Amino acid sequence: MSRLLGVLLTVSVLASPLQCQDSLMARLRRQADSLLSAWRDAQRLAALADSLEQVRATAGSDTIAVGGLRIIANPSPLPLRDAAERAWPVIDSLYGSAAEDLPRYPYIFRAVDPDSSVRRTVLHVGVEVPWDLDVRATTSLLLTTVTPPSFDAALADWLGSALRPTLRPQDEGAAVFIQLVTAPSEAVRRCFLGDIARCKDVLQIGDSTGWLARWYVTPAEREALVTGSFTDYFARGATAPTLQNCRQHRDDACTALLQLLPPGSLPRPLGQAARLVLVREALRAGGRDAYRRLVASPNAAIDARLSSAAGTDFDSLVARWRNAVLAARPRPLTLPWWAGFAAIGWTAFFGFCALRSSRWRL
Amino acid sequence: MIHMFRAVLYTQWKWSRLIVVLGTIAAFAIPLLSVQGAARADRGALQAQDLLRSVQSWGSLYPLLATALGLFMAMAAWAPDHRGRHIHALTLPLERWRYVLLRFTAGFVLLAAPIAAILIGSSLAVLTATLPPGLQAYPIALGVRFAFAVFVAYAVFFAVSAGTARTAGIILAVIAALILVQVFASMANLDLDLFGAAQTALLLGPGPLAVFAGRWMLVDV
Repeated sequence: MSRLLGVLLTVSVLASPLQCQDSLMARLRRQADSLLSAWRDAQRLAALADSLEQVRATAGSDTIAVGGLRIIANPSPLPLRDAAERAWPVIDSLYGSAAEDLPRYPYIFRAVDPDSSVRRTVLHVGVEVPWDLDVRATTSLLLTTVTPPSFDAALADWLGSALRPTLRPQDEGAAVFIQLVTAPSEAVRRCFLGDIARCKDVLQIGDSTGWLARWYVTPAEREALVTGSFTDYFARGATAPTLQNCRQHRDDACTALLQLLPPGSLPRPLGQAARLVLVREALRAGGRDAYRRLVASPNAAIDARLSSAAGTDFDSLVARWRNAVLAARPRPLTLPWWAGFAAIGWTAFFGFCALRSSRWRL
Repeated sequence: MIHMFRAVLYTQWKWSRLIVVLGTIAAFAIPLLSVQGAARADRGALQAQDLLRSVQSWGSLYPLLATALGLFMAMAAWAPDHRGRHIHALTLPLERWRYVLLRFTAGFVLLAAPIAAILIGSSLAVLTATLPPGLQAYPIALGVRFAFAVFVAYAVFFAVSAGTARTAGIILAVIAALILVQVFASMANLDLDLFGAAQTALLLGPGPLAVFAGRWMLVDV
C-alpha cells in the first residue's frame, strides 16, 4: 500500500513541472495568437483606411485608359491622355506581356494650381501635380512613376532601384561606358577589356562571398577606397590605429578595415545604371514575355532569372551587355561641323566692324 | 601691298613680341602639364579618373589663354596709333580700311605661333603619355578649337579697340541698360530673364562665344 502511495506521489511530483511547462507554452501560444490577431486587425484597419483614402482621393475624378494604363485624376488642363498615348508604347516595350497587369496599379493624380497658395486637403494616396505641365513633362512623369508589375524585393535590392522605362537609353549606356573607363577598380577595367568573369563580378552576379577581393583587386585600390570614402568612419575608436597603418600603405590593415564594414555598405564598383542596362538587354533579348519570366521566380538567383528572361545563357547575356555599353560610347568633345563656320563668320563680322569703325570717318 | 604688309607685320611684331613669346610658351606647356602623371604605371585603375580630373582642370586655361592672347594682341595692335592720335596712320597714302585690314591680318599671322604651339604641345603630350584603356586623345580637335577661339577673341577686341571712345561708351551703355532692365524686372516680379537670353545667344548654338563654351579636353572617353 505504502509502495503504491509512493509511486503515486512520485508520479504526481514528476508530472507537476510538465504541467507548468505545458501551461507556459500555452500561455506563450495564446500571446502569439493574440499578437497575430492584433496584427491582422491592424492590417484590416490599414486596408480600410487606404481604401477610404483612395475613395476620398479619387472622388470626382475621371479615369483615363490608354492601353494598360489607368490614370485617375481630377478634371484639369493637364494633357494626361496625350502623355499616356506617348508613354504607353515605351512602357509596353519594357514590360511586354506583363504590361497587361498594369490596370491593377492605377496612377492617382491630383492636378493642382501651381500659382495658388490656398491650403489644400492633405491626401495620402496619389501624387499632386501642377496642372501647367506640358505633354513632354507629363509623359516623363508617367514613365518615372509607373509601378513595375510584380517587382520583387530581391530584384529591387540587386538593381538598387525600380525597373522603369527610360526615354534616353543612349544616355544610360553612355553613363555606364564612362563608369567602365573611369571606375577605380581593376576588375572593372578588365571587364571593359573583355573579361566576362570580371564583368559578372562587378555586376554583383554569382557567389556573394569575397566581393572585396573581387571588386578591388589591388592594394592601391583598397587603400584609395579606405582613405577616400571611409576616413571619417574609421578615424575614431579602435579602428584609428589600423587606419594609420592603412595610410602607411599596409594592405592588411586596409583589407581588415574594409572587412569591418557592415554588410552591403562596400561601395559597388559600378553604379545602378550598369545593372539597369543589363536587365534592359535581357528584356530586349527575351521578347514580349521576358519580363514575366524575370519576375516569375523571386527566390531564384539573379543570373538564373536574367538568363531565363533573356532566353540565353548568362555569359552570352553579359557579353551582349558589354557590347551594348561599348556601342554607347559618348560622343567626343569635338566641335560640331558648323562651329568652325560660325567662328570664321563671327571673326569676319567683327573684322568688318573694325574696318567700318567711325574713327577717321569724315 | 606685300611690302606694306611686311612693314605692318614687322612693327606689330616689335610691339607684341613679348605677348607672342609668352603666349607660345604657355600654349606649348599647358598640354604637357595637363597629362603629368599619366605615364605612371603603378597607378593602375585609379589613374583614369585622376587623369581626366587633371586634364579638365588644366582645360579651363585654354579659353583663358585664347581670350588673353586675343585681348593683348588687339590692344598691342592699336596702342601706338592711339598714343600718336593716329597722325602717322593718317599721313600714309592708304585708305583706312586697307590699313585696318593690314593690321588685322598681321595679328592673325602672329597668332599662328601660339596656335602651332598648342598643336605641337598637345601632340607631344599625347605621344609621351600612357593613356588608360578607353581614354582617347584629341590634340587636333583641341588645336583647331583653340585657333577658332583665338581668332574670335582677337576679332572682338580688335573691333572694340579700333572703335572710338564713343563706340565703347555705347556698348557699355547697352550692357548697363540690360542690367538695369533685368533688375527692375526682378523687382516687379516679371518673368523676364535677359541674362539667360543673352547667355543663350552668346554661348549656345552659333553664338559668337560658343567656341569658348563647354569642356576643353585634351584626353577624354
